[in-house]
Amino acid sequence: MVMVAALLAITLLGAGVVMLSPDRYAGKLAAAVSAVPALLSVYMYWAYLTQFEGTGNALLQPGDVAFGQQIPWIDFGGLTISYYVGLDGVSMPLLALTTILTTLAIVSAWTPIDERQSQFYGLMLFMETSLIGVFSALDFFLWFVFWEGVLIPMYFLIGVWGGPRRKYAAIKFFVYTNVASLVMFAGLFALVFSTDLTSLALPAMAEAFRSASGLPTVFGMNLLTLSFILMFFGFAVKVPVFPFHTWLPDAHVEAPTPVSVMLAGVLLKMGTYALLRFNFTMLPEVAQQLAVPLAIVGVVSVIYGAMLALAQRDLKRIVAYSSISSMGYVILGLVAFTPHGMGGATFQMIAHGLISGLMFMSVGVIYNVTHTRMVGDMSGLADKMPWTVGIFVSAAFGYMGLPLMAGFAAEFLIFQGAFDAATLGSAAPVLTAAAMFGIVIVAGYLLWAMQRTLFGAFNLETDYTVSEAPFHDVAPLAVLLLLVIVLGVNPDLSYEMIQNSILPVIDLGGGA
Amino acid sequence: MIPVESYLLLSAAVFCIGLFGILTRKNALIFLMSVELMLNAANINFVAFSLQHGNLTGQVFTLFTMALAAAEVAVGIGIVLVLYRNFSDVDVTIPTTMRW
Amino acid sequence: MAAFTYAPAIVLLPFVSFLVALFLGDRMPKGGALAGIAATGGSLALSIWVALTVAGGGVYNEFVYTWVAGIESVTLRFGLLLDPLSALMLLIVTLISFLVHIFSLGYMNDEDETGLPRYYAGLGLFTASMLGFVVANNLLMAFMFFELVGLCSYLLIGFWFREDGPPSAAKKAFLVTRFGDYFFLIGVVGVVATFGTGLFAPITEGGEVVAQSFPVLAEHAVVDGETAGIAMLDTVGLGPQAWFTVLGLLVLGGVIGKSAQFPLHTWLPDAMEGPTPVSALIHAATMVAAGVYLVARMYGFYAISPTALAVIALVGGFTALFAATMGLVKQEIKQVLAYSTISQYGYMMLALGSGGYIAAVFHLTTHAVFKALLFLGAGSVIIAMHHNENMWDMGGLKDKMPVTYYAFLSGSLALAGILPFAGFWSKDEVLYEALIHGLGSEGGLATSYIVAYAMGLLAVFFTGFYTFRMVFLTFHGEPRTDTARDPHGVRWNVKGPLAVLGVLAATVGFINMKPVAELTGAHIDFLHAWLEGPEEGGWPAALVTDSHHYGELLHDVAGVSAGEPLGSIGTLLASAAVSLALAVAGAGLATTLYRGPDPVEHTDKLGSLKTLFMHNYYQDEYQVWLATGLTYPLARVMDKFDQGVVDGVVNGVSSVSLFSGQRIRRIQSGVVSNYATLLTLGLVLLLAAFGIIGGWF
Repeated sequence: MVMVAALLAITLLGAGVVMLSPDRYAGKLAAAVSAVPALLSVYMYWAYLTQFEGTGNALLQPGDVAFGQQIPWIDFGGLTISYYVGLDGVSMPLLALTTILTTLAIVSAWTPIDERQSQFYGLMLFMETSLIGVFSALDFFLWFVFWEGVLIPMYFLIGVWGGPRRKYAAIKFFVYTNVASLVMFAGLFALVFSTDLTSLALPAMAEAFRSASGLPTVFGMNLLTLSFILMFFGFAVKVPVFPFHTWLPDAHVEAPTPVSVMLAGVLLKMGTYALLRFNFTMLPEVAQQLAVPLAIVGVVSVIYGAMLALAQRDLKRIVAYSSISSMGYVILGLVAFTPHGMGGATFQMIAHGLISGLMFMSVGVIYNVTHTRMVGDMSGLADKMPWTVGIFVSAAFGYMGLPLMAGFAAEFLIFQGAFDAATLGSAAPVLTAAAMFGIVIVAGYLLWAMQRTLFGAFNLETDYTVSEAPFHDVAPLAVLLLLVIVLGVNPDLSYEMIQNSILPVIDLGGGA
Repeated sequence: MIPVESYLLLSAAVFCIGLFGILTRKNALIFLMSVELMLNAANINFVAFSLQHGNLTGQVFTLFTMALAAAEVAVGIGIVLVLYRNFSDVDVTIPTTMRW
Repeated sequence: MAAFTYAPAIVLLPFVSFLVALFLGDRMPKGGALAGIAATGGSLALSIWVALTVAGGGVYNEFVYTWVAGIESVTLRFGLLLDPLSALMLLIVTLISFLVHIFSLGYMNDEDETGLPRYYAGLGLFTASMLGFVVANNLLMAFMFFELVGLCSYLLIGFWFREDGPPSAAKKAFLVTRFGDYFFLIGVVGVVATFGTGLFAPITEGGEVVAQSFPVLAEHAVVDGETAGIAMLDTVGLGPQAWFTVLGLLVLGGVIGKSAQFPLHTWLPDAMEGPTPVSALIHAATMVAAGVYLVARMYGFYAISPTALAVIALVGGFTALFAATMGLVKQEIKQVLAYSTISQYGYMMLALGSGGYIAAVFHLTTHAVFKALLFLGAGSVIIAMHHNENMWDMGGLKDKMPVTYYAFLSGSLALAGILPFAGFWSKDEVLYEALIHGLGSEGGLATSYIVAYAMGLLAVFFTGFYTFRMVFLTFHGEPRTDTARDPHGVRWNVKGPLAVLGVLAATVGFINMKPVAELTGAHIDFLHAWLEGPEEGGWPAALVTDSHHYGELLHDVAGVSAGEPLGSIGTLLASAAVSLALAVAGAGLATTLYRGPDPVEHTDKLGSLKTLFMHNYYQDEYQVWLATGLTYPLARVMDKFDQGVVDGVVNGVSSVSLFSGQRIRRIQSGVVSNYATLLTLGLVLLLAAFGIIGGWF
């Protein structure tokens, strides 16, 4: 099956073509180019749903992988590296999320991006290539190339098209995440070199790490534990988890809206995806030993992020901090090691990807019109742009976990899975209840922000005429909102395949 | 047969002379010559160990080093000429523009 | 049972009207109102059909949709539970919603409001969500629709979003109820984690139970000690009854928020910022009833926990009294009604807590009718008064708008609890249940019941007073303003619903005239029969949601028993006489004080108490302080901490690198000789280091 290769090739070639095209056509061309992988991935999703029923985990049952392809690539030092890609129930929805969100983000960029357009869209497509690679690669070397490859376009997208403090934000983002990658790399390779691995394929690594024995003790702890902690740090920065989150608000505030959409919608999920693939699939026993402290980290992230969001005035900062909060739920769900906990966590990646993308996009559309994002600067927008505001309100309620929208399904499943998680013992109900308090705070700051900006008498000190946004700004919002509702009404569209791929991981942990 | 230590002593002496030249002199040409001395000290070691081990690897490397030294002199003289053209002197402590 | 096949349409019809009004309302006459009227009318007809089928002994409890199919874990489904309780509630909701849609033609369309499609879409979505909640056969589905009605309430309270008040009130309503729902959500998760199901009633197939319900499982655990399958008990380290009490109280959090019980009642008076038909539908008759309905729906779960029952009774009794006192002094007609609503829901909670399941459902029914009537009546008055709600600007409206007056009077008599209007029968039964169970039970339970009863009884007097203060100020005496002298007329679409409800408010109490039934021996307590079901077999055997079973549980497990010192009929009549006397006394006092042509405000004599009542016991102040005086500053401090310390460390690391880089680069002097020296030094140091490590010295 060459589907994944086709996705990679189309986006990469498309990036080159768009980069060379004149600015006038770049936006439309990029949208057209990115529509191809989006449609292709929708087809793959459909094919997965209908043909690959019950496919297992890509790392634990590599034979069951969908759209798999393996070509030997490099041999050195007794390690085989190959071009090895494939999808399972965890990566398939994330891949579809990536391609769809990229297309919508590109369309939403038509209004705000007015300089160096061809480079902008080219970089967006290049980032899409890397993201597709991250979610489909099954060989560590290949995966790492894509993992780091995401940073490069992101750095330029923030640093060139960003706000006033774009350089600071871009460098902070790049250095922070790169240092994290280094630490993660060290942790992982400590294990690679102390086991007798012959291949860097992820399934082989998972096999070797689980059966590893007689590993040395470093700094008073087993090498497995040490590696787990190093890798957790590496991925936690990406998620991000308290206290490694401070790059995120800066990056979001400075990044142009379409880039924020990608950052919140997909890039953060790289962190949790990697946590699931590496820490929780390869080192399940350590994950269970450390379950309680990790769950506390997740719960603190939830409450801390939500409280910080309460203190912000910039709409983008509000959504940025609330992303920290939402991703904390994912950590809580993962450590639960129960079907609904881990499945819900994976589903939350999708749900939050859609909803936070929708939130950022709506904020962007409002910003395009009002040229401000500060809560105190405007009021009564509902009067002027009813459709945008209507979608914004819907998105905000989605973020608050309104039932029959995707966010509720994800959060409820996580809570359900974590509430009686054996890994957390008698702390499980308490920790879960503490995390749930996030749903109250999130309602607090979003309702407050909406009341101040959208309702009341119209007021905005500006020379611009404030009116409804153009169709191509509102259409992506509507599409995302529709997806959020569809997944909320019928979570099984994604959740079934997620569960099928998650269960082998849970079985590793003794079923819990 | 002369023991290998004697060659090493000779080589060390030549090396130290070269090092002394580099550390104390300011003239760029002396610099070049001192570097040549140090390279040749290395060459003496190569040849000595080649003899000691009875194979030709060391001598081959010596040939490489000589070629390298020749190339280095060519580049070095060029640099000295540019130096003189820009600063009207061949004192290496004068041109300090390439600093922090 | 053909009716049950079409039952999902009861929920779906209003949902379709929501979509139609939202997307096509602009292009439709009346801004989508007709779609709403048609949909709720259809739902009403279907509900009647369902009720008739249920009356014929049919019940329905099936899953209709799998929301999340759990693999090796709990599966979450949507299902319909149609039994006498939900059939009754369906009737109430669809009837009131239908009438409110018609009334809205007069209140919104005739007043040339803008944004009508949004209004009717909101009403449609609300009706659909509320009906979804009513028919829900499990706790999770109930929670989901419970939240959705909260959304609709938010959207409709904030309907006039261009003003400052409504958006703020909408935010408060959602936030305060969300706070309650937080506990509810923990409760839902806890129940599903504990029992593996959230079903309210067992699902049976051919007499065999295929899916057990959580109240029954809880009962088995507590009564028969069947705790083997309940792993949660080991996790939390509690006995079954203690843990179920915790779960029950958690769910109660949502109930207290939604049914506006103390201390989460503060949102309801503010919610009066919404259009009055919305207040009638959502904030009086239906959504606020959701909390009480939920307790009734899972009553089997509460009936095994005396602690939870005592808490419910005390919260209810206290709220009934507490809210009634605030209603005494309010000047806006809708504010009086809002506090009265809180107070009346307190009665229902009191009934539920003190073992009066039927009394609570009865009061829920009558209250839905007469309070919707009062709100719609107030709406009619507000139209007439050009949207001035202050009762001191009214007066003498009786002659100008007789239909409104008589309907309003019917509702007021019902609210005050005057024989033979609906409220008398139901309120009397509530108080009677609290009294006899307070007298018959033992220990703390009895004390709580008696205390709650005393508070409820006192509230009866206040209710009579504020109700008739309102009636006299609004309709009697001389008009006090020009608007009141020449009120705006109302049309059939306002009068029609008022007339229907006015008649119902006078008569709906006849479905359960318990004192008359006891006296005459005639079987005219129809609601008892409705909720109790047949003696043997029938739906109670299948669903275990009958009041008879609840009575047994209350008696055997919770220790709630009846004490009748004056014999059964004597006690019943004495209780009825006391509450009627108090109601009449309250109403009479209001009549004497406010009857004249130019009444003056007598509540000023309350002095500082009046200030306290007017400020709602400073409940709003402390809750606002919790949000803006405590949480927000805390968030600011955390933000400072985040920017200063957490980000400070990050920036500190980079500053250290930058600073040390700045220092170290001084080595790069540009003098070749220095580099050579450094190289040599480095070589020497390296050799020395190798030497020391290698042991050459």
